[in-house]
Amino acid sequence: MSKRPHDREKLDERPAKALRPDAVDRLSHLSDELLLRILSFLPTSTLSLCERLSHKFYNIASDSQLWKAAYYNRFVRPRASRLPGMKDVGKSSDHLFYSSKLSKWLDEEHLIRRGQETNWKRQYKLRHNWSQGKCAVSEIAVSERPPVPPLLVRMHEGVIFTVDSISGLRAWSSKKDRGLISCIELGKSATQAAPPTSLAVDTSDQTRASQRVVVGFKDGRYSVYELKPDSIGFVELYSHAPSSNGSLSAIVYASPYLLTMTEGQLLSLYRFPTEPAKKCVTDILDPPRLLYSLRSHTVWPPLSLSIRPCSQSIIASIAYALPTYLSGWSVGIQEMRLNLEGEIIESRLATAANENFHSLVGKPSLSSPSTPPSLDPYFSGGSTWQRGQSSGSPTSLSYSHPYLLVSHSDNTLTLYLVNSSTSSLSIGPGSRLWGHTSSVSGAHVGGRGKAVSVSCRGDELRVWELEGGMASSAARKRLVTGALSVRIQPEEDISSKPLDSLSDAISQRGSGLGLAPEHRFGDLSVTRGWVGFDEENVIFLREKSQGSQALVVYDFT
Amino acid sequence: MAAASTSAVDPAKKMIMLTTSDNIDIKVEREVAERSILIKNLLEDLGSEGDEPIPIPNVNEAVMKKVLEWCEQHRKDPPATQDDDSDSRKKSTDIDEWDQKFMQVDQEMLFEIILAANYLDIKALLDVGCKTVANMIKGKSPDEIRKTFNIQNDFTPEEEDQIRRENEWAEDR
Repeated sequence: MSKRPHDREKLDERPAKALRPDAVDRLSHLSDELLLRILSFLPTSTLSLCERLSHKFYNIASDSQLWKAAYYNRFVRPRASRLPGMKDVGKSSDHLFYSSKLSKWLDEEHLIRRGQETNWKRQYKLRHNWSQGKCAVSEIAVSERPPVPPLLVRMHEGVIFTVDSISGLRAWSSKKDRGLISCIELGKSATQAAPPTSLAVDTSDQTRASQRVVVGFKDGRYSVYELKPDSIGFVELYSHAPSSNGSLSAIVYASPYLLTMTEGQLLSLYRFPTEPAKKCVTDILDPPRLLYSLRSHTVWPPLSLSIRPCSQSIIASIAYALPTYLSGWSVGIQEMRLNLEGEIIESRLATAANENFHSLVGKPSLSSPSTPPSLDPYFSGGSTWQRGQSSGSPTSLSYSHPYLLVSHSDNTLTLYLVNSSTSSLSIGPGSRLWGHTSSVSGAHVGGRGKAVSVSCRGDELRVWELEGGMASSAARKRLVTGALSVRIQPEEDISSKPLDSLSDAISQRGSGLGLAPEHRFGDLSVTRGWVGFDEENVIFLREKSQGSQALVVYDFT
Repeated sequence: MAAASTSAVDPAKKMIMLTTSDNIDIKVEREVAERSILIKNLLEDLGSEGDEPIPIPNVNEAVMKKVLEWCEQHRKDPPATQDDDSDSRKKSTDIDEWDQKFMQVDQEMLFEIILAANYLDIKALLDVGCKTVANMIKGKSPDEIRKTFNIQNDFTPEEEDQIRRENEWAEDR
């Protein structure tokens, strides 16, 4: 018999237990390369079994490259075939097969670029848990009594920000320990007279080690804070004077741009001056310049502000609910396009299922658009179950271009796709999304059409995969079969329990969709409609009957 | 690579000689032998007419004959794609009937074929071999897999249980 060329592997010390003389472990003697090749033909469930065989198999079956391929095949390739345009590239399915070429990873190249750092098995598990709605749940108690107005919450890059008039601005880690990272008082004027009314995290600069947040107040004031790394904590960068325009009901920040909306429906876009060179780092921002301001009479809450940088322009937009006569409520969107110098190029608006748009260049006021009733087939079409109710105002609205997601108290959500090009702005017809079994109080949509919605009792959360919208027949089929969303099913917090009950928790989890977490929220609890998520967590704010508030964190890792 | 064109001009039927590790000479048609990228490259590099026997020091006669049997059967297959990355390899259950029969050998021979295919650089054969092994692993419990391949469990029961729990999430799919 020939000497095996690849057998250089120094095998682990084995127990001296004698094997039958003819019983040679030829498989383990193969080179790692060949073993990987063999394992690459196995499904992930088998890989995880192989990890239990021996130390050698443990190392090889958890190899990141195997899981990277599995990740691609399960989570990236199906998206590629779902996206319009992608499937026209070639007839054969060959171009969709796994490859480390960046272009084939759609917008998940960031995982590739991290190179060695990416733990693909962990990523796979994370996505797997999302797809199954499987997660651990824990709570962060943030307040013993309800501040007025209630606590505001945002989450970004693993940090949860909360602000309220009593405890000030606080940052919490959404990772393992869930501890308080830092907190800062809101300053002397943040009394009951001018409590915080809006909160936003800077979403523009991913490279900075610190994160910036902006808080809007009831007296029209707003303040920019920076959360510095390495336990330095919050630093106040800028505070804008109170304004007679009134309470800031919504705010969004994409450095250097800041967009605010007042209760009186005055929309203002600011730009901060370019920050000075690195050597003279000050912790003060120069005052911003007001670029544009407009007053609206047709914008109804709930609304959603956003700032979207494009290559040649900045798009500031406001998406809002819109009452219409026949169909009750629809949505509208107003976009302001600015060039990089901050000069307005155009302002335009669109409403759902309405082909018209209004160019309002240089005319910073919104006339009431004569909107024809929504032609949405899902809205009208003779169904009698919803429209015309005066209480039909949407409960929340979330916009992450091109997805506009609206939640309703009638257990449904509506998804619109916004089409924004240099020449036109339009909103496609809405699609009703069923799945919830009780009133939906909040929904949040993020990039790639992933969305999370929460019922008003906080007892039902669903994760939606809405990428590509409802245009394709495949998506409609998934809608009909209920495969569009999955209900989040938290496990019992096993870390706080003795190991004996582990198997109970598992068998409970195994019962699938039947496991409702109602029993966990025994006391009457209400969500204010705020729900947020990042790659690893979903959080929402829950109020208990006695008035205390807690952040509920669902951990999918 | 100029490889594709050379084989077109060359009389593919020409016989060449391979010398195995146990010093046996095997005569084989050039086209058949060139399923092996190693042999193909050797022939090109030598530039000779292939009159001299080519030594294959890592493969013995029995295995070489088995490998050449596969090459004979697959002599007309399109050449493997160079791009190993975009492997359009299918699920392991998809082994064609002839290959399945071909792979009905004892474990020793199976692994020898895999090693030879790897050494001789015959990607398609290597995949058939690997898929065959993968199919032997599939659907078995860890204990059954260990038994099949005589793998010694070098975990303590506690360690193994720990891994089992870590991987519970992956099993229900």
